[in-house]
Amino acid sequence: MGIAQDNAGPQHDSTQHYEVLQELGDCHTSVGDYLQAQQYYEKAAVLCPDEAGPYVGFGVVALQQNLLEDAETAFKVACRLDKRSAKAYAGLGLVAQQKGDYKKAFEMFLKCLELDVDNLIALCGLFQTSCQMGSFEKVTYYLETYLNMHPGDVSVMYPLAALYMKDGKFEDSKKVLLDILTLDRHHRDAASLLEEVEHNMAQAKLAGVRTR
Amino acid sequence: MPPVTVVIPTFNRPQYLHEALFSVVCQSYRDLQIIVINDGGVDVRDIVNDFNDPRIVFINRKENLGLPYTLNEALSRAAGKYICYLGDDDLYYPNHVGTLVNALENQTDCRVAYSDLYKVYCKVQADGSRQVLSKVVEVSRDFDRFLMLQFNHTLHVALMHRRDLLEKIGPYNENLNVLIDWDLNRRLVFFSDFYHVCEITGEYYHPMGDCDRISVQRRKNKNEYLRNVLTIRTTRPPKPWTKIKDLSIIFVTDRLDKMAGKTIGSIWNHTFYPYKLYLPISESDFNRLNTDMPNLVFVPVGNDSSLSLQVDAALERCEGEYIAVVPSGFPVSDMWVENPLYALIHCINDRQGFLMEQANDELWAAVMKKEDLQFARRSFPDLSVSESLAAAGITLRRPDFEEFPFQLDNLLHRALLLEKDGDWLEAAKMYEHIADRHQNVLWMKGLAAKAYFEMGNHVQARSLFREINQQRPTVQGLLMEGKIERENKQFNSAIELLTKASNILEGHELIWA
Repeated sequence: MGIAQDNAGPQHDSTQHYEVLQELGDCHTSVGDYLQAQQYYEKAAVLCPDEAGPYVGFGVVALQQNLLEDAETAFKVACRLDKRSAKAYAGLGLVAQQKGDYKKAFEMFLKCLELDVDNLIALCGLFQTSCQMGSFEKVTYYLETYLNMHPGDVSVMYPLAALYMKDGKFEDSKKVLLDILTLDRHHRDAASLLEEVEHNMAQAKLAGVRTR
Repeated sequence: MPPVTVVIPTFNRPQYLHEALFSVVCQSYRDLQIIVINDGGVDVRDIVNDFNDPRIVFINRKENLGLPYTLNEALSRAAGKYICYLGDDDLYYPNHVGTLVNALENQTDCRVAYSDLYKVYCKVQADGSRQVLSKVVEVSRDFDRFLMLQFNHTLHVALMHRRDLLEKIGPYNENLNVLIDWDLNRRLVFFSDFYHVCEITGEYYHPMGDCDRISVQRRKNKNEYLRNVLTIRTTRPPKPWTKIKDLSIIFVTDRLDKMAGKTIGSIWNHTFYPYKLYLPISESDFNRLNTDMPNLVFVPVGNDSSLSLQVDAALERCEGEYIAVVPSGFPVSDMWVENPLYALIHCINDRQGFLMEQANDELWAAVMKKEDLQFARRSFPDLSVSESLAAAGITLRRPDFEEFPFQLDNLLHRALLLEKDGDWLEAAKMYEHIADRHQNVLWMKGLAAKAYFEMGNHVQARSLFREINQQRPTVQGLLMEGKIERENKQFNSAIELLTKASNILEGHELIWA
């Protein structure tokens, strides 16, 4: 077939069908139609058996239905297929968290964030497991990194402010809380935490302690 | 309604022929003559007979004689007012024939029309079945005669033309073994504009991995491929041509030496506009000339003829409405004559010619209207060619960049460079600019939408994808709009769009599927 090459460059998009099926699976998962979602993920897995995406999908569906063993198996398959699948590690983190294995959950969320600092699920998971374990090492760094990329994300700003307060960084905490209240003046949690921070600052001042 | 002949040549692809033929038999347009011709491949009689359709003419040739011969044999039996073609592994959507007939009968005075097709990337399974990986509209370009002269921009399977045009252009060239469809299209543009129906009316299949298609394999032999390209570019159907004005190139030289031979060879290699090359040389020089270059016209002149006498002698014989004068040793490269010629064709001023880009006082080369040159030479025969033109008030200048052909391609190239540099916003603006000024609106808007998406402006991307999908939904457009809807948590809308895309990919949109 003699034909001029499309000047816009060859579009050898061999994953289009897979992408459509995967997107459909994700949409059905989001609206809670898990059966349909599974069917689309199955089709996607048949079409591209080496892709991790459908197995992440299976894992998410199983997780939503509280089938933790199935979810873990699916996420593990996804990790085997793609060692850089951040979503699969986030999924394993969620499974571990629900099983009460906070150490493993923390490890999985960290792995996920190493691959994708943008992953909000892992970020929140990391924060939660830190709270659950009472250890906040490393969490602050990831929250700060995320906020550098997504300034104004209140859902991350609030835990960061809480962490600052816990670490005695009252000035930093106050600044973040004021930013939250500028963005959302009805944010009750931020307002009450700010009160607490200001109270702590006043007490620290009295005691002559640096607050930053 | 006029009858239409559908030609389906087949060779050793029985596993797909049934689907191809089925897609023709099920056309909503019923007045068909369907010619299935076996080019000496495996026996497909049973597949054809299964249809038991009186509209089918089956030619079961045992000997393999190649595609051009096969098509000519089928065309010799064709009875339709219009002809269209289908590969034995491709398929029409049910509206294909009707859409093109409607365009040719009611919407245009063109005698050729073409639509868009999905290129289907697929994986061939062990049992021969095809697993669809993607369906992409890779070629959707509005008709451009200059581009068609240079290279093909329509798909053979997407084309429908009047049968009576074959009397003017002649049959398929049986000396070619690749690009035979471009050869036919190129000859068609001498006699008709092509009408672009911007609808997707079928599919052609492209298996992933090493392709065993004969046409693809033959392209790998570069010399043979170039031989085919040059043969096609120098093919001139019989006159009178209704849509193209002829070009006569007058080659002037003091003596026929190596340099002259090199210049002649370069003209052959680099010129795609239809031309004849006039050689005003002495008979002894002509006898020394060793070339199999086509379209050469020997113009005998005396041994010591001046360059202007050579031009005058050639001018007597020139058929072309446009004349290019080029001296030996002139640096001939791609577009050397097409750029100034295109400017000349589209110039609204009288008495205007154009200099070649590389021309200077020593190597003077220009293109002009024949009547202008004739007037100048008749009026001032004792002057040199350039002086006579000036004296006759015919001005010569170099064309501006904006006067060159392929403006769309130039801008597109710039936009692609912007994309490479990550400047998606400027690229998107460039695509929108092209859409405003150089047709190809859907194609350009699609590229602009993609650029907006890449730069993160999903609002603008969504708006453009939506506009495109309302006009002509494609898998790619629906997928992109669906993705953006999902990001915006508009899940039901996303599901609707993605389901449409999925249905197209799985063939559920076809009423006969």
